Amino acid sequence: MPTQADLFAVAPELILIAGAGVLLLIDAFAPKLRQISSELTLLTAAGAAWALLALPHPGAAWSGMMRSDTLSVLVSLCLLVAVFLCSWMAGPYLRRANKETGEFYALLIFATTGAMFMASSIDLLPLFLGLELLSVALYVLNAFFKDVDVSLEAGLKYFIVGAFAAAFTAYGIALLYGATGTTNIEVMGRTLGGGAAVSPVLIAGFAMVAGGMAFKLALFPFHAWAPDVYQGSPTPVTAFLSVVPKAAALIVLLRFAIAFDLLHMGHSWVWAAGIVAVGSQTLGNIVAIVQRDIKRMLAYSGIAHMGYAMVGVIVAGTAGSSAVLVYIAAYTVMNIGAFAVISLMSENEAEPHLITDLAGQGWSRPLAALALSISMFSLAGVPPFAGFAAKFFIFRSAVNQGLIWLAVLGVINSLISAFYYLRVVYILYMKPLPRRVPDFLRSRAIGAVAGVSAALVVLIGLYPTWVFSAARTAAKLLVR
Amino acid sequence: MHIEHLLTFVTLGPAAGALILAFIPGRLEKVQRWAALLISLAEFALSCLLWANFNPDIAGFQLQTAKVPWIPQLGISYHLGIDGISLLLVMLTTLLMPVVIIASWRSISEHVKAFHISLLMLTTAMLGAFVSLDVFLFYVFWELMLIPMYFIIGVWGGPRRIYAAVKFFIYTMVGSVLMLVGILYLAYSNHLQTHVWSFAYSDLLKAGRQLQMGHSFFTSPQMLVFAAFALAFAIKVPMFPFHTWLPDAHTEAPTGGSIILAGVLLKLGTYGFLRYNRPMFPDAWHAFVPLILVLAVIGILYGAWVALVQPDMKKLVAYSSVSHLGFVMLGLAAGTIASTEGAVLQMVNHGLSTGALFLLVGVIYERRHTRMIADYGGIARVVPVYTGLFLLVTLSSIGLPGLNGFVGEFLILAGTWRRYPVAVIFAALGLIFGAIYMLWMVQRVFWNPFTHEENKSLKDINLREVLAVAPLVIFIVWIGVHPTTFLSPMEAAVRSLLMH
Repeated sequence: MPTQADLFAVAPELILIAGAGVLLLIDAFAPKLRQISSELTLLTAAGAAWALLALPHPGAAWSGMMRSDTLSVLVSLCLLVAVFLCSWMAGPYLRRANKETGEFYALLIFATTGAMFMASSIDLLPLFLGLELLSVALYVLNAFFKDVDVSLEAGLKYFIVGAFAAAFTAYGIALLYGATGTTNIEVMGRTLGGGAAVSPVLIAGFAMVAGGMAFKLALFPFHAWAPDVYQGSPTPVTAFLSVVPKAAALIVLLRFAIAFDLLHMGHSWVWAAGIVAVGSQTLGNIVAIVQRDIKRMLAYSGIAHMGYAMVGVIVAGTAGSSAVLVYIAAYTVMNIGAFAVISLMSENEAEPHLITDLAGQGWSRPLAALALSISMFSLAGVPPFAGFAAKFFIFRSAVNQGLIWLAVLGVINSLISAFYYLRVVYILYMKPLPRRVPDFLRSRAIGAVAGVSAALVVLIGLYPTWVFSAARTAAKLLVR
Repeated sequence: MHIEHLLTFVTLGPAAGALILAFIPGRLEKVQRWAALLISLAEFALSCLLWANFNPDIAGFQLQTAKVPWIPQLGISYHLGIDGISLLLVMLTTLLMPVVIIASWRSISEHVKAFHISLLMLTTAMLGAFVSLDVFLFYVFWELMLIPMYFIIGVWGGPRRIYAAVKFFIYTMVGSVLMLVGILYLAYSNHLQTHVWSFAYSDLLKAGRQLQMGHSFFTSPQMLVFAAFALAFAIKVPMFPFHTWLPDAHTEAPTGGSIILAGVLLKLGTYGFLRYNRPMFPDAWHAFVPLILVLAVIGILYGAWVALVQPDMKKLVAYSSVSHLGFVMLGLAAGTIASTEGAVLQMVNHGLSTGALFLLVGVIYERRHTRMIADYGGIARVVPVYTGLFLLVTLSSIGLPGLNGFVGEFLILAGTWRRYPVAVIFAALGLIFGAIYMLWMVQRVFWNPFTHEENKSLKDINLREVLAVAPLVIFIVWIGVHPTTFLSPMEAAVRSLLMH
C-alpha cells in the first residue's frame, strides 16, 4: 500500500495525469468544449505547480525509488513552467492551422509527467518508465501536423532515433543490474564506494545509459536527429522538445555523476565527457553559423548549450550541480521565449522559417522583436541576461575544479556563438522590411508567452541569487 | 539625498532615464530629444556634485556606496566608489553625453527614441565600468556596453554599418570572454587563500599580487591572468595590432556614436590597464612593460602614418586615435608619476579633442554628405566660424602649448624620458607626424584653391552646433591654461597606484 508520503511525492504528477485524462475525455465525449483545452491545460499545470510548492516533500518515497525534495521541486517547476508556456503558445498556433484538439495538450502533459518522473527517480525502473512516457508522447507530438511532410519526417526520425536510445538505455540498465545487483542509482554508488571492483560490465552499462541520455540531450556525437526534428515539429512542440527532455536527462546524468563520483574515478570519464561537451559546443556553434532556418539554427544552438551544461555535469559536486540547475532554469526561459516569437513570426508551418524573413520586424513588431533579441543575447551569454549568469556559474565550477581548459574552450565557444545570434538581431533591426510584408501571426497569448519569458530572462540575469540559492540547496541534497 | 547614494544616482540615473524615455509615445520625437537632453544635463549636474564632494587628499576610493549583496553565496555585491582617476573619466563621460545628444539633434531622424535609449543605457554601462568596486559588477557593465553600441553603429550608421557593428561586437567579446576566465581564476585563488568567496576589487587585488610568476609564460598563473585581462583592454584601447576594428566602427558609426567611441569607450581600455593590470599583477606588468612600450610606439607611428594617407576625414581622425592612445599607453607603461598623470590627463584630452573633431566633421558631413577631403578646398571663406573652431580643435589635438593636448603629451614624454629615452625619441617623431597629417588635412579642406562650386552655398556652423562644441572648447582651453584643476584631484590616486 502506498503511504501518505508516497502520494504526496507524486501529487503533482497525479494532478497532471488527471488533467490529461479530462482533456482526452472532453475530446471524445464533449467536442464542443474543445476550445477550452488550452485553458484547461494551463489550469492543470498551475494546479500541479501549486501541489509542488504547497504540499510537503517527504524526501525518499515509494520504497526509496523516488525522491521528492528541493531538487525535484526545482526541476519539476522548470518543467511545469515549460509546459505552461508551451501550451499557452500552442493555442493560437493550432487554431490558425485549425488543428486544436485535446489530445495535443494531453500528450504535452503526459510528456511533462514522464520528464518529472525521470527527474525525481533514483531507481532506474521508474526512470525508464518516465523516459518512455516522455518519448512516446513526443513522437506523436512531432508528427502532429499529419498533412505536413516535414512534421511527419520529424516524428519518424525522432521515433527511430528515440527507439534506439530507449533500447540502449534499457540494455544499459540490465547490465548495470547485472554488475551491481540493484537498479537504484544511489545503492549502486554505495557499493562502488564500498570498494567493489569496477567491472567492464558496469562501465558498459553506464556508457549505454549515458549514451541514451546523450541522445535525448542531442549531444555530439548523438546529435544528428536534432536539426530535422526541430525544423519539422510544430513550433510549440519544438519549444517543448528543446527544453523538457533535456532538463530531465541532465538530472539523470547528474545523479550518476554524483553517485558514482565520476570526477574522481580516473581521467577517462573527464576526457570522454569533456570531448563530448566541447565537441557539442564546437560542432553546434560552427554548424549553426551556416543555417538559414532559425529553427535549425536553434537546434544546433541547443546542441552547443547542452555542451556547456555537460561541463557542469562533469564537475558535479555542489558547484557543478547547482550550475547545471541554474542552466536548466535559464535555458528553459530563453529558449521558450525564442520559440514563442518564432511561432509568431511564421506564415505557414510547412515553409522553412528563414532568418531573413525576420527582416525589419524590429520596427514593425517592436515588442516581439525585443523579446527575441533578449533571448538571442541571453543565449549568446551577454550580461545582464540569464544566459550569462548560467554560463558564469558553469565556468566558475570548472575553474574551481582546475578544469580551466573546459572553461577556456567554453568561453571561446560562446564567442563563436555570438556571431549567429547577432545575425538574428541585425536582421531584425538593421535590414529593411521586404516589399511584400509577410503575413505573420498576431496573437496576444503568444506575445504574452514571449513577454513573460523575456521578463524572466532579464530577472534571472539581473538577480540570479534566488535561482542560485534554490539550486544550491538542491545540489547539497544531491551531493550529500 | 544621502551622499553615499550619489554614485548610485550618477551611475544608474541614465538607465532610469532610458526607462522613462521608453514610455514616451514614439511619434513625440521632440519630447524624446528634450527629455534625453534634460536627463543628460541632470547627469552632468550630479557628477559636478561628485566633484564638489570629492576630497583630493584621499588616495583610496571615496564616496563609496554601501555594499549591497548581489550573489551573496559567492561574495558578489553591488559596490561603487571613485578615486581621482575615475572621477575625471566620469566627468568626461557625463560632459560628452549632452554634447552627443545635441550633435545628433538633426542627424538622427529615424527611430529617435531607440537611439536615445541606447545612448542612455550606454552611459550607465560606461559609468558603471569606471566606478565598480566589484570585479563581477565591472564585468557586467563592461559587457553591457556592447549591446547599445552595437545598435548605435548598426542601426544609425553608414553604408557598411552592419559589418562594422558585428566586427565591433565580436572583437570586443574576444577580449572579454577570456577576461571572465581570468576573473574566475582570481576569485578561485582568493578562495584558496582566504576560504572566503569574494569578487571585491580589493580582495582580488591581493589575490592577483600573490599569483605565482613561474618560469615561462605558459606555466605562470600571473602572466596568464595578466594576458587574459590585457587582451580585453588592448582590444578596447585599441593597441596595435588589435586596432583593426576601430577604423570601421568609427567611420560607420553616426557622429554621436563616434564621439562616444573615441571619447569614452576607448578610455575604458587604458583605464582597465591602469586599474587592473598594473596594480593587480605587478610582476607580470614589469615583465610585459617592454612589449607594451614597443606596441605603444608602433601604434603612435603607425596610426600617424596611416592617418596621413586617408582621403576620408573621419577615417583620418579615427586613425589619429590609434596614435593618440599609443601616447597614453606609453605614459602608463613608463610608470613614473608624471607620465601616468599625463596619461590620465591625455585620456581626457583625447576625449575632448577627438570628440570635438568627430563632431565638427559631422557638422560638415550633414551639409554636403561627403567626408572626402578632396570634395572640399578653400572653404575657409565660406564658413569662417566653423574654420576657426576646427583650427582650434586641430591645434589642441596636435599639442599646441596653451591648449590641452600639450600638457598631456608633455607630461607623458617628460615622465617617460627618465626611464625610456629611446621610446620618447620615436614617440616624439609621432608628434611631428601628428602635426603634419592634421595640418595637411586642414590645409586641403580649408585653404587650398576653391574647387567645388557646390561648396559655395555651405552654411556656417549654426547656434545648436556651436552649443554642442562649446563645452568641449571650454575644457580644451581650461586644461591648457590651468591643468592643475584636473591634475590635483588625481595626484594622490596615481601616487598610491604606482607605489605597488
